Amino acid sequence: MLAWSRGTGVGQVARLHHLYLTVGPARFRVASTWRQPLDQLAALYKDYPASQDGYADFTVRLEPEKPWRRYIRPSVHISGDYWLPDAAPLPLNQSLLAAEMGMNLQMALGWRRHLLLHASSVEKDGKALLMTGLSGSGKSTLSAMLAEKGWRFMGDEFALLNPDTGMVHSFPRLISLKNEAIAAMQAIVPDNRFGPLMKDTPKGDIRHIVPPLDSVNKMADPAKPALLLFPRFGYDPALRDMGKSEIFVRLTQASTNYVALGEVGFRALTMFVDTVPVKAIDYQSADQAEELIDGLWGELS
Amino acid sequence: MSQLYRAAAPDGLIQFPLDSMTLIFQKSSGITHMVADPVPAIIEVMAEDILTADDVAQRLSASYDLEDTADAADIVLARLVELCSLGLVEQV
Repeated sequence: MLAWSRGTGVGQVARLHHLYLTVGPARFRVASTWRQPLDQLAALYKDYPASQDGYADFTVRLEPEKPWRRYIRPSVHISGDYWLPDAAPLPLNQSLLAAEMGMNLQMALGWRRHLLLHASSVEKDGKALLMTGLSGSGKSTLSAMLAEKGWRFMGDEFALLNPDTGMVHSFPRLISLKNEAIAAMQAIVPDNRFGPLMKDTPKGDIRHIVPPLDSVNKMADPAKPALLLFPRFGYDPALRDMGKSEIFVRLTQASTNYVALGEVGFRALTMFVDTVPVKAIDYQSADQAEELIDGLWGELS
Repeated sequence: MSQLYRAAAPDGLIQFPLDSMTLIFQKSSGITHMVADPVPAIIEVMAEDILTADDVAQRLSASYDLEDTADAADIVLARLVELCSLGLVEQV
C-alpha cells in the first residue's frame, strides 16, 4: 500500500508506504519511508481485523531525521498527528519499536474516548485485573505470563476506562518485553509468536510477543474492573492495603489524559477508585506473583 | 472592617470524599484539589453567602463539635487565605 505525502525536506515530496492497523477501538495508519517496519507490523498483526474503509484515528509517521539519513546510517524519526519535539530517532533495525512507540504516543496524547490508565490488564470470567506501576514493576511481564495461563490479555500499556459505563476496554497491542523478561517468556511462548530481538534500544533489549489469538479475537469485548494491583518486583512477597487518596493520586499520575478529559475524567476516576478493590503486591518471581494474584482473585465475590 | 469572603458556587464544584482527604473538582478551572478537614466543612457552611472568617467559625461551631473554639476564627482565616489562592474562595 502506498501513499503520497509531503515530508522529508523543503520542496520535496516523499513517497511513504503505509499500513492500517486496528487495535481495540483505535485505528492507526502507520506511514513509513521504509518497508521494513511495515512488513514486520503486517506479520505480527496479521490476525488483527483489517481496516474496511481506510479510516484511521491517528497517523504515525516514520521518516528519516534528515533526507540523507534514509540511506546513510538510516535513522527513524517518530512523528504523526501528535509528536514530541525532543524525541530521539532510532536506528532502522529498531524501526518496529519506533512504530510501536509512535502508536503509544498517539494514544497517550490524542485519545479522548476513554480515560487512559498506564496499566496492563487481563480478563477472566468477564472481570478485569489491572496492574499499574513504574517501569520495571513487572506489570507487562505479569500480564504476558497470565495470558499464557488462562487469562485473556487486554493490553500491557493502556487500560481504556469507559467513562459512561465504568468498563475497561481492551487495547491488546504487541506485548513489549524488556531484558530478562525476554528469556523468561521464551520458556513458555512458542517462537512463532515472537518479533525480532532489538538489542541496545533506549529501553534496553526489547522483543515483542503477539498476544494469544483468543485475546485478539475478543478485543472488542469490555470487562468490568474487579481488581487493581500495584506490583513491585524484587521485594519479599507481600500484600498491602492502600489508602484511597494515594490510589487516586497515583492513578492521576498514571493517566495521560485525566486532565484533558476534565469533569468526565474526574467522574470516571472517582467511580473507579470508589468501587474497585486495590492492593500493593511485592514479589520476587513470577510464580510468587501468580500465587498472590490467584489468592486475591479467589477472594473476590 | 473585617474581610469578606465568598466560596465558589456549589454547582461549580464536585466534592468527593476519599479517606482522610476530600477531592474537590472545580469545573471552571478543570483543576482537581485534594484537601483535608476542615476545608470541605468551611466550603459547605459558607454556601453562597458573603461572610467574614468569624461568621464562618460561628457557623462551623453551630454545625460541628469543634475541639478548640477559641482558635477557630484564626484557623478558618488561615484556610480562607489558602482557599483564595486556589480559587475556591474569593475576597469580596
